[in-house]
Amino acid sequence: MTSKIRDSGGLGVILIALGFTILGTGTSIHRTTDFIIFCIFVLGFDLLYGHMGRLSFGHMLFFGSGAYAAGLLVRYITPHPLLALLAGICGGALVGGILGPVVVRATGACFALINLAFNQVGHFLALVAFAKVTGGEDGLSLTFSKIPFLNISNPKVFFGFTIFCLCLVYYFLKRLTSSPYGILLRTIRENETRAQFIGYNTFQYKWITFVISSSISAFAGALATLNYGYVNPSFIDPTRNVEVVFAALIGGAGSLYGAILGGVSYMVISNYLARYIPRWEIFLGLALLLLVFKFKEGIWGNILAVWKRRTQARSVNRT
Amino acid sequence: MISTLIYGLTIGGILYIISIGLSLTFGSMRIVNFAHGMVYTTGAYILIAALPFLHNNFFAGVLVAIVVVIPLSFIIEKFIIRRLYGESIDYAIIATYAVLLIGVDLVKWIWGTSPIPLSDPVGKSVTFLSIEVPLYRLIIIAISLTLCVGLWLFFKKTIVGKIIIAGLQDREAVRSLGISVDKYFSLVFVLGSCLAALGGVLYAPITTVHPYMGFHILLISFAVVIVGGLGSLKGTTISAFVLGMVMAITGRFWGPAAEAMVFAVMAVVLIYKPIEV
Amino acid sequence: MLLTVTDLDVHYGHAKALHHINLHLSKGEVICMVGRNGAGKTTLLKTIAGFLKPTQGSILFEQKTIQGLVPEKVSMMGIRYVFQDKRVFGELTVKENIELAAYPTKEKVSDSIDRIVNLYPRMSVLLDSKAKGLSGGQRQILLIGRALIGEPKLLLIDEPTEGLSAGIIEEIVNVIGRMKGQLSMVIVEQNLSVVSRMADRVYIMKEGSIFKEIIDRAVIAQSNALEAYL
Repeated sequence: MTSKIRDSGGLGVILIALGFTILGTGTSIHRTTDFIIFCIFVLGFDLLYGHMGRLSFGHMLFFGSGAYAAGLLVRYITPHPLLALLAGICGGALVGGILGPVVVRATGACFALINLAFNQVGHFLALVAFAKVTGGEDGLSLTFSKIPFLNISNPKVFFGFTIFCLCLVYYFLKRLTSSPYGILLRTIRENETRAQFIGYNTFQYKWITFVISSSISAFAGALATLNYGYVNPSFIDPTRNVEVVFAALIGGAGSLYGAILGGVSYMVISNYLARYIPRWEIFLGLALLLLVFKFKEGIWGNILAVWKRRTQARSVNRT
Repeated sequence: MISTLIYGLTIGGILYIISIGLSLTFGSMRIVNFAHGMVYTTGAYILIAALPFLHNNFFAGVLVAIVVVIPLSFIIEKFIIRRLYGESIDYAIIATYAVLLIGVDLVKWIWGTSPIPLSDPVGKSVTFLSIEVPLYRLIIIAISLTLCVGLWLFFKKTIVGKIIIAGLQDREAVRSLGISVDKYFSLVFVLGSCLAALGGVLYAPITTVHPYMGFHILLISFAVVIVGGLGSLKGTTISAFVLGMVMAITGRFWGPAAEAMVFAVMAVVLIYKPIEV
Repeated sequence: MLLTVTDLDVHYGHAKALHHINLHLSKGEVICMVGRNGAGKTTLLKTIAGFLKPTQGSILFEQKTIQGLVPEKVSMMGIRYVFQDKRVFGELTVKENIELAAYPTKEKVSDSIDRIVNLYPRMSVLLDSKAKGLSGGQRQILLIGRALIGEPKLLLIDEPTEGLSAGIIEEIVNVIGRMKGQLSMVIVEQNLSVVSRMADRVYIMKEGSIFKEIIDRAVIAQSNALEAYL
C-alpha cells in the first residue's frame, strides 16, 4: 500500500508540504516563500535538463516571460492575481511554443547557447525595446486585488498558497515522469536515434517538453511577481541562469527531490552565505567546479547512492 | 555610409580575433569555452591597470596584457580544460562558466562594478574617401587582416599547423602516428586565449570596460562561431566580418538593437541549417 | 615472442567487451583475428594500441609491459595501428599526410614517399591531391604506407579489405604480401579468402573471447573450413 502512495506522488506531496511549513514557521515566512518559488523554477528547468538531458543556459527567459506577462496583465488589464498567474503560464507557453521548433533541433552546446542568446534578446526587449510598456530598467510596480480565499498581501496566506503550488507542480511532474511519457523522455536523453527508430516523432515530444518546462518556469516567474509586487529586468537577466543550473546540479539532475533540494540549497547559500562571505560568487564558481569534477550526481544523487549501497549490503547479508 | 562600413569592418575584425580562439578550442576539444570571456575581460583590465605604469603607452599595455594572459590561460587549460576531455558537453559549459564567474567576481572585487572608459589611444583621424575616419579603427582592421593572413599561412604551411588541422579532423589517428596531439591543442588554447586578450584590449577604447564585458562579447562570438559552422576556421572568418557588418548597419538605425540583430541572424541560420554539436 | 597478451579483460563502462584474452605473436608472423561483428576484434586492437585501458591482464611487447600506455608512446615503441574505415586526413594532400606521419620519426620524407611509391607506383601522381579525393583502395594503401614510416615492428590492421572491390582487394593483398617477412602483423579481417592467403595463424573470436586458435596451415588455406568455425 505504501508503495502505491509513493509511486503516485502522494507521499512526496505530504513530505514537501510538511517540510516547507516547518521551515517557514521555523525561520522566515517571507524568505521561505522565495525558496519555494525558486524550487518551482528549478523543477521546470530540471524537466529539460535532468530528464530530457538538454542543458538550457537561458531559462531566465521563461521565468521572465511569466513574470512580465503577469505584470503586464495586472498593470494594463486587470489586477486579478489568479488571472495574472494564468497569464504568466500562457506567456511562458507561448514563448516556449514559438522558440521551441528552432531550439529543440539543437543539442548539447548549441542548445545551451541558443537559449542564452534568446534570453539576451528577451532581456533587451524588456529593458530597451518595449521600455515604454515594461517600464524599462525600473520595471512595473503592481497592486493586486483581493479575491475570496486568497489575499496576496497577507504573507502567511501567500506562503500557504505557494506551498500548494509547489505540491501541484511536483505532483504533476511526478505523474508525468513516472508515466510512459517520462520513459520516452529518458530514452530521448540516452539515445534519440533509437527512439526515432522505434517510431516516435521525437521532435514533437521534445517540443512539448520544452513548452511544459517553459510554462512551469513562467509560472514560477509569475509567482515571483505576485510575491514581490513588482517586475523588472532582473527577472529576465541572463546572468542569473547560473543560479538555476547550480541548483539542478547540486541537488542532482533528473530527480524531483533533487531539484527541490537543490533549489533550497542554492537559496540557503545565496541568502545566508552571502552574509558572511562578501565574495560569495567566487565561492559559487568554485563550488560549481567541485560539483562538475567530483560530485556530478549532486547531493540527492549521492544520498541515493549511499542508500543503494546500504540496501544492497543488507540484502546480501540476508541471503 | 562609408563610416558605417568601416565600423563594420572594425567590429568584424575584433570579432574575428576573439572568435578564432573560440572556434579552435571548440573544434579541437569539442569544448564550449566560457572562460574565453574571462581572458578577454582580463586583458582589458590588465591594460587599464598597466597603463599608468607605462606612461599611457597603449602599445606596451597591449603587450603586457597578452603576456599576463599566457600563464593564466595555461593554468586554465591544465586544471580545467584538460579534465573536461571526453566529459559530456554540458559539464564543459558549466565548468568554464564557473571560471568566468570567478573571474568576473575577482574583477568586481579589484576594480569595482562601474564601467571604466578608455580613450582612443591614437586620437587622430584620417580622411578616407572624403570621410573622416578614426585612424584607430583602420589600425584594428589592419591588425585583424594581418592575423588572418598569418593564421592562414600557419595552418597551411607549417607542420604544426597541419598537425592541428589533422587533429581537428581525427584526433585518434594523429595520436596513432606517435604525435602527442593534446600538447598541440594546449598550445592552440593558449594561442586562442592570447587572441581573446588582444581582442579585449583593442576593443576596450571603442566600447566600455566593465566586469560583464566578457559575458557580453562571448555571446556574440558564439553566434559568430555557430553561424560560421562549428569548428570551421574559414566559416568563422567570414561570419565574423558579416556579423560585424550586421552590427554596424543595425546600430546606425537603432543603436541598442545591434546585438539583438546578431542573434536574430543566428536564429534564422539555425532554422535553415540546424546543427548538431 | 614479439607480442604476448595474457588474461586480458576490457570493459566499456559496466559491459565486458573482452574476456580472458590470451594470444601470442612471434617475430615475422602474420595472425588474423576473425569473427562476427561485435566479437571484440577492434576492441582488442585498440587496447593493444593504447586507446583503451584493460581492466585486467597484461600485454607484453618485446618483453616490455605496454598495457595502459598512451597511444603515442605505443606508436613510438614500434607498434602502428591502421584504423578501420580508411580514415585519412582528408583536408591535407597525400604528401602532407606522409609528412605528418614522418614528423615524429627520424625518417626523411623523401624516403617515406619512395617507400609508398614502391608499394604502389600510382601514388606518385597523387602526391599533391587532397587525400579525401582518393578511392577507398588508394586510401587504404596510403594508410598502410603511412604506418610503415619509421620502420615499425608490428602492424595492427583493422579490416583492410572492407568495402573494396575484388580487383582492389587483390592489390591490397599483394601489398601486404610484400610486407610479410619484414614485419609482424595482426590483421582483423572478415573476408575469409583473404585470411586464407595471408595468415600464418588464425584466432577466432566470439562474443569477446578467443574461441579457437587455428595453427594448421591446411585448415587455414580452406576458407570454407574457417567459415565453419564462425
